[in-house]
Amino acid sequence: MDDAGVDQGGVSPVRQVIEVVVRALVDQPEAVRVTETERRGLSVLELRTAPGDMGKIIGRQGRTASALRTLVAVTAEKHGTRAQLDIKD
Amino acid sequence: MSLTSEITEFLQSVVAAMGMDLSPTVEETPDGTRINLEGEDGGVLVRRDGEGLQALQHLTATAFRRQLGDDRRIVIDCNGFRKDKDLELKQMARFNAEKSRSSGMPQEMGPLNPYERRIVHLAIAEDPGATSESVGDAFMKTVIISATK
Repeated sequence: MDDAGVDQGGVSPVRQVIEVVVRALVDQPEAVRVTETERRGLSVLELRTAPGDMGKIIGRQGRTASALRTLVAVTAEKHGTRAQLDIKD
Repeated sequence: MSLTSEITEFLQSVVAAMGMDLSPTVEETPDGTRINLEGEDGGVLVRRDGEGLQALQHLTATAFRRQLGDDRRIVIDCNGFRKDKDLELKQMARFNAEKSRSSGMPQEMGPLNPYERRIVHLAIAEDPGATSESVGDAFMKTVIISATK
């Protein structure tokens, strides 16, 4: 099964990066949730925050979200994987 | 804990989460605080014209916006990549000022982001024979350098 390899033990670097950065951006870090699923070699990371914090993650003209996606891509590249960030609102 | 050490600690945890081995050096300049991340792992941050470094810069400035306020700047560098680029931009600005004097035609630079435009404006401000002006209404703007008569 494609979804079998999820979260066996350690947290992936990409997920760690999202958690560290997003917790620093929001007012309610304890409400930050990141889940990771693997689909055909692509890691799909879903990010949820407190509703009031969503705007901080997106930023003006989506610039914060875009910077977060770049950092995700750079981290995946460093580890020879591919990752995609889905911001859930 | 000082704001600089708080920011340095944040950067260290991001870099560690990314799985990179980089050590921060802090330098206080008249222009703000410069944190240079040094190490062989830095290549991935400066790839594609420093795209990753730029993202890290934006995320850090956003996370600490409230504490930094309007007048404190933070610049994140990696193996001096940005320092070299800033110097190049400054030289390019001076060259364009000279060119506008010799040709009598205003010279365009850009499109540049706000950080880059600031470097150009500061370089031109040191030159009594030229002025600079940003044009455009987007995030990236063109800077026009003209000789003063």
